[in-house]
Parts: sequence; C-alpha cells; structure tokens
Amino acid sequence: MTAERTLFAKVWDAHRVRDLPGNNALIFIDRTVVYELLGPPAIEQIETRYGGALYDPRRLVAVNDHVVPAKDSSTAEQAQVLRTWARKRGVLLYDVGENGICHVLVPERGLVVPGSTVVCSDSHTCTLGAFGAFAFGVGSTALAGAMLSGATIVARPKVMRVFVRSRLQGGATAKDLALGVVARLGFKGGTGYVLEFAGDCIAALSMEERMTLCNMAIEAGATTGICAVDEVTISYMRGREFSPGGEAFERAAAAWRTLVADDGAAYDAELRIDAGELVPTVTWGTNPGQSAPLEGIVPHDAEPAALAYMELEPGTPLRSIALDQAFIGSCTNARIGDLRAAAAVLAGRKVAIPTIVTPGSQAVKRQAEREGLHDVFQDAGALWTHATCGACPGLSTGVLAPGMRCISSTNRNFPGRMGAGGRVHLASPVVVAASAVMGRIASPSELEAPVLA
Amino acid sequence: MIVESRVLALPRANVDTDQVFPGKYLSLISREGFGEKLFEGMPGGRELLASKPGARIIVVGDNFGCGSSREHAVWALVDYGFKAIVAPSLARIFHENAYNNGLVPVIVRDPQAHAACLAAERLSIDVANETIRAEGCEIARFELDPLKKEFLLRGGFMEYLASKVDTVRAWTRRRVS
Repeated sequence: MTAERTLFAKVWDAHRVRDLPGNNALIFIDRTVVYELLGPPAIEQIETRYGGALYDPRRLVAVNDHVVPAKDSSTAEQAQVLRTWARKRGVLLYDVGENGICHVLVPERGLVVPGSTVVCSDSHTCTLGAFGAFAFGVGSTALAGAMLSGATIVARPKVMRVFVRSRLQGGATAKDLALGVVARLGFKGGTGYVLEFAGDCIAALSMEERMTLCNMAIEAGATTGICAVDEVTISYMRGREFSPGGEAFERAAAAWRTLVADDGAAYDAELRIDAGELVPTVTWGTNPGQSAPLEGIVPHDAEPAALAYMELEPGTPLRSIALDQAFIGSCTNARIGDLRAAAAVLAGRKVAIPTIVTPGSQAVKRQAEREGLHDVFQDAGALWTHATCGACPGLSTGVLAPGMRCISSTNRNFPGRMGAGGRVHLASPVVVAASAVMGRIASPSELEAPVLA
Repeated sequence: MIVESRVLALPRANVDTDQVFPGKYLSLISREGFGEKLFEGMPGGRELLASKPGARIIVVGDNFGCGSSREHAVWALVDYGFKAIVAPSLARIFHENAYNNGLVPVIVRDPQAHAACLAAERLSIDVANETIRAEGCEIARFELDPLKKEFLLRGGFMEYLASKVDTVRAWTRRRVS
C-alpha cells in the first residue's frame, strides 16, 4: 500500500530523476521559459561555454515580455539577443506583436501542462502553480542549467496546506485572498515551503483567480503555490493552442484528474483561512505583507522605516490617502477577468489622476477590445497601452518619480520598485479603478452612480 | 577556504533585490561595473558601503534578498568584492544564486550569535569547517548544503548539470515507456 501523498509530492515524485546529497534531488523540467530581460545571461553562458547546446529546444519557450517594445538601445539589444538565439536554436518565440507577460501568455497558449514542472528566471513563475504544476523562479545560472541539462537541482521544500473555506464576498477578490495569505504568513513565513491551496473557496475560483493567488506565494517567501486540478482546470485547458485535441485531450484530462492530494496526506504545516472574513485590502507599507482593510487605518504598530518611506502616520484612514497615479497591469491582475472587473467600475465615470491600464498579453488586449473594454477605459480618461510588464518593475510605461504615490494592481510595493523614491499601494483591480476615480484610496461602493451615455 | 575581512553590518530585515540592484539597470548587457550600482536602490545604501572600505563580509538581517529573482543582486555583491554574506535567513532564490556564484551564504539563526557577527569589526569564516571566528574565538557554527558546498569550494554547478545530461535522457526514456 502506498502512503497518502500531497499533490506536491505527486508532482515531485513524477519528476525526480534521482536523489542527490543532502535534501536535494535532480528534478526534470518539462518547460523552461526564457525572456528578454533576465534570459540573455543564460543564453550567453550556453552559447559561449557549451556551443549553444540545449537539452531539448521543444521544451523551451522564449517571450519578449518585460520591456515591450524596447524603450532604448539597451533593451532593444536584449530583445535582439533573445530573438536571434530563438531563431537559431529552433525555440518557440513570442515576439513583439504577439507578446505578453510570460506568466499570462504561457497558460493562455496551453504551454503549462497540469502536473508539469516549469522554471523561468522570474520569481513570479509560481503563478503557474494554479495548474497543479511545480513552477518556480530561478536565477539566470540555474536557468542556463535547465536549458542545458533538462533538469535542475532542487532542495525538497516542505509543504504547507493553505486551507481556504467558504466564499469570497463583500467585494473581496482573489487579490485580497492573496494579500490575506501573505499578511497571515508574514513576508517570509512561507520560506522553505510550497503552499498547497485547498478548500471549497479555492475550488470555486476561476483559473485566472487561482493564478492571482499563486502569483503572490513568492511574496510570503514560499518556493511556489500549487492548486489541485479539477474540472475548472480541464475546461481552461480545452482548445488551447498547445493543448492536445480530441481523444488525446480526454486521455490527458483523465491523467490530470489524479493531480489532487490524497485524503489523509500529511502536511508539514497548515494555515486555515475563512474566506468569508476577508475584506478588500490595501498595503500601506513597503512589503506585500504590510496591509490593512481598505476601510481601516494605518496600524499603530506599523514599522517606522516603512512609514517614513511611505510618508504616512499611524492611525491614518487608508481612504484618506491621496494618490498621484493608478496602474492596472502585471502578472498578478491583468487578465481579461481583471480588466472586465475594472471596466465595470470605470464605466460612465472619469478618472481624477493619471491612470494606466496595461493588459497582460496582446491576446488579452485583443479580447478586451472585442468586448469594448478599451473604449470604457479611454472614455474614462485612462491610458490603454500594449501588453508588457512595464510599470510594475519600474521599467517603462508608467515609472514613478520620487515621492509619487501610485495605487497598483501589481505584486510588489518595495521601495523604488516602480521607480526610485516612488510609493506603491497594492490592491485589487476594482479598488485601483475606484481609487483612480476618487484620486485617493477608495472603495467601489462609495462611488456615485455613473453617468451613462 | 577561509574568508577573513572587515565586516559591513546591515542590520535591516527584508532587504529586497530591487534595493540591492535597481530594476532600471537590468537592461545592462555587460556585467562590468555592477558593483558601482550595489545598494543604489536602498536609502543610504551607497553611504553605508563607503563607510567600510575593504569589507569582504557583509552581515545582514532576516530574509535578505527577497523579491525579484535577479541574479544581478549577487553579481553586484561579488563584483563589489564581497566573498561571504551572513544572515539569519536568506530568500530562497537569492540563496541559490549565492551558491552558484561563489558568494558563501552563511546562515546564523541564533540571535545572539548573529548579533555578535553584526557587532564584530572583523570576522574569519572557515568555509570547509563551517565556523565563524572573531578575535580568535569561535562565535558561531553554520551548515552549508553538502552538495552546494562543493560548488562553492570547487565551482562547477553548470559542469555538474552538464555531466547529468545522459542520466536525464535515460530517465525520460523510462518515463515515456
């Protein structure tokens, strides 16, 4: 009789080539994602030291995502390194025009297979754990290692079950759940763990919402997040560009359905959350764990250094904080569902501050335009851009000046993250949209009735 | 292998890699001069560095290196001249990147021992024997990952993986069947 296994253990066991000294194993990597900003150092290593050798080019995907289109000669050179290499080595390339943030694009093309392993030189690779995959960020050297050998060395993480019961309600979204998990665990409380999300709340989330949740596992220090495969997952996979078709899909789906934790599987730790208690949440500090209810105040025991950077006083109502910019975008919250939710708030209203809406991929952009969402955003006075990481990592299309305060649907509020000296408040797309209208941190519920044409 | 030098103390928790190496420099192709950007994203960072010229050991706070996976953070520390980093904990990806670039990641969880490292003017870190000495006395012990310690002492993360390609291919053939 085999012991009951966690979902993570099943994926780990299915990819464990061999155990290595210490707590390490050689783990087979099904998909390696290479992008223009942090990919070139890996490409350079492979090309100069290993004659360009790749374990299997068909397992790689190259995406221009962080700065698209290139903003200067240096970023243009990076994009050129990526595309030249991809063409030369026969690697699938998503270039300018069909670009997207890789953690948005890879799933929408069907390139993350449930139960697979994925690495990318980006910490938000954990997003793809929504598909029951073991997906994690690595440095450029480890990326090169996976490109070369088809495997990487992983110290086996512990597994924490994050059990979320009940339903999100009262305006709380998957982003508020993600911020809630990070706040409860603390900014490093997940270090050394994979967060295995479970419970009826998770089962009720869409794939996009599960991606938002898994995306922020890294913000608690976790190796990654992972969700069980269910009919929501399988229905998302059906008909994707790289999904199998017909009979082959049904066979694959039957195998994917086994990607759930066994009843009675033992976990190293457990966190229980009642989703019914979650409320819309906004960060006040300089890491994603420093948040408070939108209707609340900056805590009295807030870290002084964080307050000094954010230029905030303890006890300040969050809804009184004036803003200079609003940003909707990033691998956390720039999928079509996020844009629909933000557009519903902005419809018939006007923004009071510069507001930038950056779709997560060109495919998301086109879908949004088919639905007329671009008109909603632009009628409201927002700037509707092409897909890119852009403002979130402070690289382009919305970088902050020192002292500027931005409410953002992104994942990081570190000092200088969106531009040196800039201040970032993280929130859900609907709270960002409402705040854009009010010019201060605001709830959709406090907006006056829209003026509909 | 022994790392001995003055100590730069940075007793701050949760220093993320954007502070260590700001995102705006990620588009630099050449790795030369990364040390000149080190801690540019941290308020007071450059002044702190200038206060301890010649330091090859940096003692930092909890969860150092969190956030972005950018290996540039480690490259900048190494380019500046740091050989070892002492912390109560390091963020996972930064920790791995340190091993892969010869920056010795020294985890000292005991608060008293960590405080002693922060307070020391000079430290001597014996990598092979996993001990830290100050003024001739052992003040802390630490543990390195047994496999990655070999990469630190002898290099060769990439060579190690390169040597495993046949093993991986053989494994995938069994996997398919």
